[in-house]
Amino acid sequence: MGPWDVEQVLGLAPDPASAKAAQAQARTTKWSETGSSERAVWGLCQGSGKQPYQTAVDLTGPAYKCSCPSRKFPCKHALGLLLRWATGEVGPGDEPEWVKSWVDQRAARPERKPGEVADPIAAQQRASRRADRVSAGMAELASWLDDQVRQGLGGFDQRAYSELSRLAARMVDAQAPGVAGAVRRAAGVVGRGHGWPGELLEELSLIHLTVAAHGRLADLPPSLADTVQSRIGWTVETARVLAEGEKVEDDWLVLGRVIEPDERLTVRRLWLRGATTGRLGLILTFAAAGRPLDPLPARPGEYVPGELSYYPGVLPMRALLTQTAPRLPAPRPTGFTAQQALASYVESVAADPWNERWPLVLQDVRPARYGEGWALVDANGDGLEILPGYFDPWKLLAVSGGDPLTVAGEWNRAGFRPMTCWHGERPVIL
Amino acid sequence: MRGWDGLVSSALLGTDRRPAHFEELPEHIQERLGDGGLLDAAALATVYKRAGRKPLRDLGPLPAAPGQDRPLPRPVAIRRLAAMLGGFQSTALGEWLRAADARGWDVPPEHLPALADFARNRAEYRPLVVRAAGRRASWLADLNPEWRFLHAAVAESNNPELWTHGNALQRRTWLRMSRQQNPAAALEALREVWPTESAATRADFLGLLADGLSQQDEEFLESALDDRSKEVRRIAARLLARVQGSQYGERMAQRMWSHLVVSQGVLAVDLPKRLSAAMERDGIDSQNPEGIGKRAWWFLQIVAATPLSVMDLGWLELPVEGCAPEVLQAAWAEAAVREGSVEWARELLRANASTGSRSPAELLRVLPPEEWVRAVPALREHMDLAELVGGLPVPWPASLGSMILDQLAKVGTARGWARLASIAARAVPADVLNHPITREPAGEEDTWRRRLVETLIFRREMYEELS
Repeated sequence: MGPWDVEQVLGLAPDPASAKAAQAQARTTKWSETGSSERAVWGLCQGSGKQPYQTAVDLTGPAYKCSCPSRKFPCKHALGLLLRWATGEVGPGDEPEWVKSWVDQRAARPERKPGEVADPIAAQQRASRRADRVSAGMAELASWLDDQVRQGLGGFDQRAYSELSRLAARMVDAQAPGVAGAVRRAAGVVGRGHGWPGELLEELSLIHLTVAAHGRLADLPPSLADTVQSRIGWTVETARVLAEGEKVEDDWLVLGRVIEPDERLTVRRLWLRGATTGRLGLILTFAAAGRPLDPLPARPGEYVPGELSYYPGVLPMRALLTQTAPRLPAPRPTGFTAQQALASYVESVAADPWNERWPLVLQDVRPARYGEGWALVDANGDGLEILPGYFDPWKLLAVSGGDPLTVAGEWNRAGFRPMTCWHGERPVIL
Repeated sequence: MRGWDGLVSSALLGTDRRPAHFEELPEHIQERLGDGGLLDAAALATVYKRAGRKPLRDLGPLPAAPGQDRPLPRPVAIRRLAAMLGGFQSTALGEWLRAADARGWDVPPEHLPALADFARNRAEYRPLVVRAAGRRASWLADLNPEWRFLHAAVAESNNPELWTHGNALQRRTWLRMSRQQNPAAALEALREVWPTESAATRADFLGLLADGLSQQDEEFLESALDDRSKEVRRIAARLLARVQGSQYGERMAQRMWSHLVVSQGVLAVDLPKRLSAAMERDGIDSQNPEGIGKRAWWFLQIVAATPLSVMDLGWLELPVEGCAPEVLQAAWAEAAVREGSVEWARELLRANASTGSRSPAELLRVLPPEEWVRAVPALREHMDLAELVGGLPVPWPASLGSMILDQLAKVGTARGWARLASIAARAVPADVLNHPITREPAGEEDTWRRRLVETLIFRREMYEELS
């Protein structure tokens, strides 16, 4: 585990005053006997008292320990220590006894496995009740969709948003949150731009596809049935994924990450590619809005040696990562031309028609203006549009300086969203 | 895609009114559709469309920025730069950029947008960011109009196109560079366009002649004294006062002599009673500031614009009649700063003369830096040390830096020293950053002393990382 970013550390502060106090702590000269290991950072901080405070951070939590009397958690000493570590001012060292015993004790503490069930029979009953509810919801959705196409979407402009929102809420009640999300997305399309009826039809047709697939779940190949279930919103417990999911061991190159803050939930998508297997993986991390996300297992452009356990599905992407060794530097990855990149996306859609996001590494691409926005053009002159709107292109442009470069990003049908690019051999987080 | 629009219009109007037709859809879709309805067809068509997406063609990639990159400093130095751009000790940013440039390092290009934004409203950082951006400077300026100032680099090529067809900033930069390389040619270029420029541009460009000023400029400056714009006239007079052996200096000397007589060890002053048109033409300001009478003000300006060569250092010792001695002292201080006269500055400081609206620090600046340390103790008795050294250019010579830090090391954490400490933290040069004060305990409290030590250590580490 290597140093985090300064912003990442400041993100752990319980309030702005703590962040400021922590920066002051980090700058002082009163730190001594600091050190860091793969799992912890520690040091002594001379406070106003005679005895220096013992400060330690368990990086796996992260969890904090400090002998100061502060009620803030984490306290300014712990944050200051992490800041020094983040700016490279804490060197590696052997854990002293007071650190080692604390971290060992934490590691030994049994963790309640997520998804572990106490009463299998009750659980089965719950599952079957839910299945009934989902089926009822799907039936309702099917007849609603049929009504819409018979009566026409033309009047939708006025009534659509409220109607679709109500429908989305009904799908949440039906314990089909995946479909509820799709319906909400469809509601967002209505009235937006001239082409909205076409886009709305696309969205509704894919919801229809989910509903239709649900109707013949038993006839589908098992992996496709799993994909349909996950589209509807059945989640697979992490314990089951770890126990039964497909396992792939590799050095996983971190292609990049996309963080999407939302009103209630921050989502982080971390995309991985196996160095030897070439397999792709997606690690999803969630945090309540305003709360920090777990630290990354490695920076974009580095390897995480470890094992992925894939969630079931016809296009295994989402996975859980079990890290087996410290992160490693990685060379610049090989990538695709625009043609090859689109072809790889087509293959994914052929397997999973609902697939929306696809990680791509583009090789030897140069920036070009495209309308109001930007595109990346490969050596053959083929280009992919950069996602218009919210992506800030300047870092990428500055690194390129007009020279061809390798860029990893996330593709969806609105465009390519760059995550990481390589300045020579050096990965740059965008 | 064929047939898609038909599906959309059926969906819009409703299949009750307009039944969907599938014959126009591609064969592959029709084959798979079987007896499916509109939504089935739309789902197939949607996936078909998404899978059939083609790359964009006929895009012109941006041209490559010409030139060579320099190597990057160590990752630990880059992390410090990122932290400063994130708001941590960001006042040391300029120093980091200067030090990195001097040691031949490039700035990692991903930080250039943040640096350009930082320098956009901070003109003093602009040349540093232009250097840091290297071959990418004008390339980035072309991409983002907010970073146009990065074009300054282009002028280094001395392309005359920039002077004739460039924007205001490019022309200004071209003129400034050209003046440094060949003052006469720059004057000629300015003379050619002079009649057609706006008053604001004339004033701006005229001010650039301050660099490389000589007698060759005199004729042009004289003509500018009759300019339509008051600001241009004012700048022309200010510049003429700095041209050695000029007619202007001659005129001022004559005016002085008609109001000043040295006789029998006394400086006898007869203040001017009115301001002539010729005096106003030479830039004498009629309106006196607060604290000085009109006639004394006119006289002060005359003496201040008179060449020091016609005066005598010995006058400093003589009694003055006819006006307050401070009027003459302030005028000499003004003249000493204007001419950069080390002798006059030294004597005025030694005599503890009035410096009028100027700070004694401005006289101190005229002295060679190695003399500062000797001049400071005497001046301290009459003025605040922080105010005195705060006006000196940074970095200070090592002798002054050590002296100030020695002083601060002795005074504990007394409040009154906070301002000096915050000036010294930034102004002491790199070779005294290892001063003993950085190894003494600075205490737990958030005092100026702790901030000083933190900043000194921060800067010391910064230099170590960039070495």
